Amino acid sequence: MRLRIEQRQEPSAQMRIAAPVIATALTFLAGSVLFAALGYDPLATLHAFFVAPINSINGLSEWLLKASPLILIACGLAVGFRANIWNIGAEGQLIIGAIAACGVGLFYPNPESPLLIPLMFLAGAGAGMAWAAIPAFLRARMNTNEILVTLMLTYIATLLLSFLVHGPWRDPAGFNYPQTALLPAAAMFEPFDYSYRLNPSIFITAVAVVIMWLFTDRSFLGYKMSVSGAAPLAARYAGFRESSAVWTGLLAGGAAAGIAGMAEVAGPLGQLSPQISPGYGFAAIIVAFIGRLNAFGIVLGGLLMSLLFLGGETVQMTLGLPAALTRIFQGILLFFLLAADFFIYYRLRLPEHA
Amino acid sequence: MFNLTRRQFLRYSGATGVALGTGSLASFASAEEPLKIGVVYVSPIAEIGWTKQHSLGVDAIKKEFGDKVAITVIDNIFMPQDAERVFRELAASGNQLIFGTSFSHGTPMQKVAPRFPKTAFEHCSGIVHRANLGTFEAKYYEGTFVAGAAGAHMSKSGKIGFIGGFPIPDIVGPANALLLGAQSVNPEATCNAIFLNSWFDPGKEKEAANTLLSQGCDVICSMTDTATGVQVAGEGGAWSIGYASDMAKFGSGKQLTAFTLDWSSEYLRAAKGVAEGSWKAEARWDGLAAGVVKMAPYNEAIPADVQAKLKQLEADIAAGKIHPYAGELKDQDGNVKVAAGSVLSDTDIRGMNWFVRGMIGKLS
Repeated sequence: MRLRIEQRQEPSAQMRIAAPVIATALTFLAGSVLFAALGYDPLATLHAFFVAPINSINGLSEWLLKASPLILIACGLAVGFRANIWNIGAEGQLIIGAIAACGVGLFYPNPESPLLIPLMFLAGAGAGMAWAAIPAFLRARMNTNEILVTLMLTYIATLLLSFLVHGPWRDPAGFNYPQTALLPAAAMFEPFDYSYRLNPSIFITAVAVVIMWLFTDRSFLGYKMSVSGAAPLAARYAGFRESSAVWTGLLAGGAAAGIAGMAEVAGPLGQLSPQISPGYGFAAIIVAFIGRLNAFGIVLGGLLMSLLFLGGETVQMTLGLPAALTRIFQGILLFFLLAADFFIYYRLRLPEHA
Repeated sequence: MFNLTRRQFLRYSGATGVALGTGSLASFASAEEPLKIGVVYVSPIAEIGWTKQHSLGVDAIKKEFGDKVAITVIDNIFMPQDAERVFRELAASGNQLIFGTSFSHGTPMQKVAPRFPKTAFEHCSGIVHRANLGTFEAKYYEGTFVAGAAGAHMSKSGKIGFIGGFPIPDIVGPANALLLGAQSVNPEATCNAIFLNSWFDPGKEKEAANTLLSQGCDVICSMTDTATGVQVAGEGGAWSIGYASDMAKFGSGKQLTAFTLDWSSEYLRAAKGVAEGSWKAEARWDGLAAGVVKMAPYNEAIPADVQAKLKQLEADIAAGKIHPYAGELKDQDGNVKVAAGSVLSDTDIRGMNWFVRGMIGKLS
């Protein structure tokens, strides 16, 4: 007996909803087998993975704090991805945004000015956009591959950060260690409560999600971009210019990543050091695709990714699971999620018996 | 005033919430309950390297305390954003003593420690203290000075190669001492230095080691978290010097010695202090004398009389008779940084951002 793969006439609406549920069930199953085989109680492990990290106020605060940059960046990236503009350099745009924001926070003449946060916001967004404008210009003018350029610019951003914190911006009172001075209080988001770390930058992400939804689902430009992604020739025939999609897609990603960098430096970090991002810019690409490039899907995807991360720490702390095992489990979940999506567009059929 | 009280109330109610959440109320530990210790590693425990040496400290506590201690270990925590959450959770879930093991854990620990005033925090390679945040660090430069002397005895070219993770004082200082140790044997010795800007990048480190070999260096010392430097040197027929762990088995028989790190005494001291209620936040900085830095067994190829000299050098440094940074010290441009008859101050050692005369390479 052989199964045949067949493309569906229309994407299946039922599978669209069922796919994540099936994926989750399969993940729990495969995970339970894995945990049991290694001698850990599967139920206790799953509880520690998905419930324990967020059943306290601090846990919720940490969850949102971790998810916020992922969701924000994924929203920006998805705008471009929908039009087949592949910005995979959000990590670099985040770093440049953080550098610009921190520069404003450190060197603005009046360290107590209430304008600091808004100025840092503009600096972060502007710098992220400027960094993304380089590949946009090269792609629009010279048809340079934006995948390569955005990725390479990430390394340049990392080296620029390294140069600054090892050199001119190094904290004069920091024993020559490669980090800047701490930002003044007025340049930091004030947490909602000092027992927790969550701060008002979460509202920026919330607004970004709404803007992303309005843009992709309610605006003509968003529609044009989706068309040029789905059917480039049709888009050209309809007179949609490719370069406007390139610019919009890359600048949206750059702005979102730059703002995320600003929120990190003005939030949990408070200073620059040679490494400032735990790979948010890359993880956001996964989040964008788990969320199927849709605003609300991205929110769920970001929450899932960050919960997996926090859960990985919790199982390590409470049950002593090795970090590698938790990463395997995270991989299993992502695998099933993306694999289940396959069945939205395809189905398996038994061949008719001759 | 109201604000402060409110915050304190929220802090404790929050901490209780987290403790309940993780199914444990041990923050109100009674005398019979085990001492709860949390340890945060920067990388997974490997066969050799930085985190491995810290795990030996944890093992020492386990051996000493047996079932009177419950240790929670979490590894692979490097980024400050993540570290702050982990330190918070460890403190909130009732750990009485918490170790951070990387410089990048510093700022997060400084933020978390004041919120948990009854918890003892110990930060390895830290520079900032709080009422309940102590630091401990090794005098790597004592080890590199001895290793440099061993290298100069065995080197034909008088050129030593140094590979460092980051150009921070904790690496620049030991690199200088490596050359100063070599110059104590061969005043003409020089040292080529390369920084990787990474603790763990075997590919880049291999390239760096090969570069140093092609520049004529016949002794390679690598202060990173891999054995790559030792390995590449051995394959290229050059001598090597291991760091953190004894790396002899990677060196094709060419590892001269290694300056190894043994944090057991630091871990035990802190754990005993907390158990007895006598723990205080201190700045501890120990080397050969306290056994935090130890020289691995010398290579059999080193003649017996030289080995005896090196052991004497170890003893003299431990006894304080020889100071690796004794004057006169000149920088690369020939400016006198330490006058004859005096030694570099501890503060200047911990902030060292200049190369001594004979170092080849630039500090960015």
